[in-house]
Amino acid sequence: MELSPSQKDALTELINIGYARAAAALSDLTGHRITLQVPEVAIHTIPEITRKLLTVVHGEVASVNQVFSGPITGNAILLLDREAALLLNRLLTDRPAASGFDGAAREVITEVGNIVLNACLGAFGNLLKVQVSFTVPALQIESVQNVLHTLIIEEQPLEYALIIHTCFQLRASDVSGYLVIILGVTSLSTLLAELKKWEDRELK
Amino acid sequence: MKRKILVVDDSALARRLTRKILEDLGYEVEEASDGTQALEKYALGQHDAVILDMLMSGMYGLEVLQKLKELNPSLPVVVATADIQRTTRDQVKNGGAAAMINKPVNGEELAEMLDLVWKGETAWN
Repeated sequence: MELSPSQKDALTELINIGYARAAAALSDLTGHRITLQVPEVAIHTIPEITRKLLTVVHGEVASVNQVFSGPITGNAILLLDREAALLLNRLLTDRPAASGFDGAAREVITEVGNIVLNACLGAFGNLLKVQVSFTVPALQIESVQNVLHTLIIEEQPLEYALIIHTCFQLRASDVSGYLVIILGVTSLSTLLAELKKWEDRELK
Repeated sequence: MKRKILVVDDSALARRLTRKILEDLGYEVEEASDGTQALEKYALGQHDAVILDMLMSGMYGLEVLQKLKELNPSLPVVVATADIQRTTRDQVKNGGAAAMINKPVNGEELAEMLDLVWKGETAWN
């Protein structure tokens, strides 16, 4: 399955809008400017997703995973490497010496993930006029392989998935993270149809 | 004579949507899909205004803004971006843009902004 150039273009534009909203939310939270990069949108087989992510994040990561459902269902994941997650925790709390993932730190990182992922997916929902429901965000501290292994087990019937990954960086600090959205083929078809409707509405 | 506007965006969809709005408002529209093309087209076309995306592959929007202002310091540039960070707005203002509009671009908002821009005013939503 491949995206046509116009589908890829439309998806990237949609992602840009949601991603920029997410970055603004993170900027408001931290008081730091977020440097944005152009998101990469691609369709991969499930095993390829792990390989692809391993090229950008390594070792132990903090991942906030939120399942969304409705006409479009999938997984939205905020991936932060260990140091980035801990630094984010220190930036957002008055505990400059905090160095581990204790209960308070886990709570902060989960909430950051919740806000960032909702800002992004909420922008999609508003734009496409589809109602998306979210599960409670779940934080995991483990290797990238394990994060994705969990998803792959849950999504076993899927052969392909859309992966959107992008890096954001807090200026004046070393925190960088990745936003990943994984959709199955059916939801991807629905998303593309809704995108086309959006374009048709706007061009009418 | 129709005013001529250059729309700079790496997304063909975003360009189509903005072109539709502008043509409905009675403007003549030309498109550029990246910063380099934008600078080439502006140098040849001397458009009355430029609508400029920020987050683009290759040359980032701020750099394009800076180069456009070097070519013509009085050129009105309207930045169209989904990046609603206050710091982005500050950067765009400091870069000499006349206005900034959130994406997806709303037709009525853009019309009002352009009316202000033609009067030599600035507009920030």
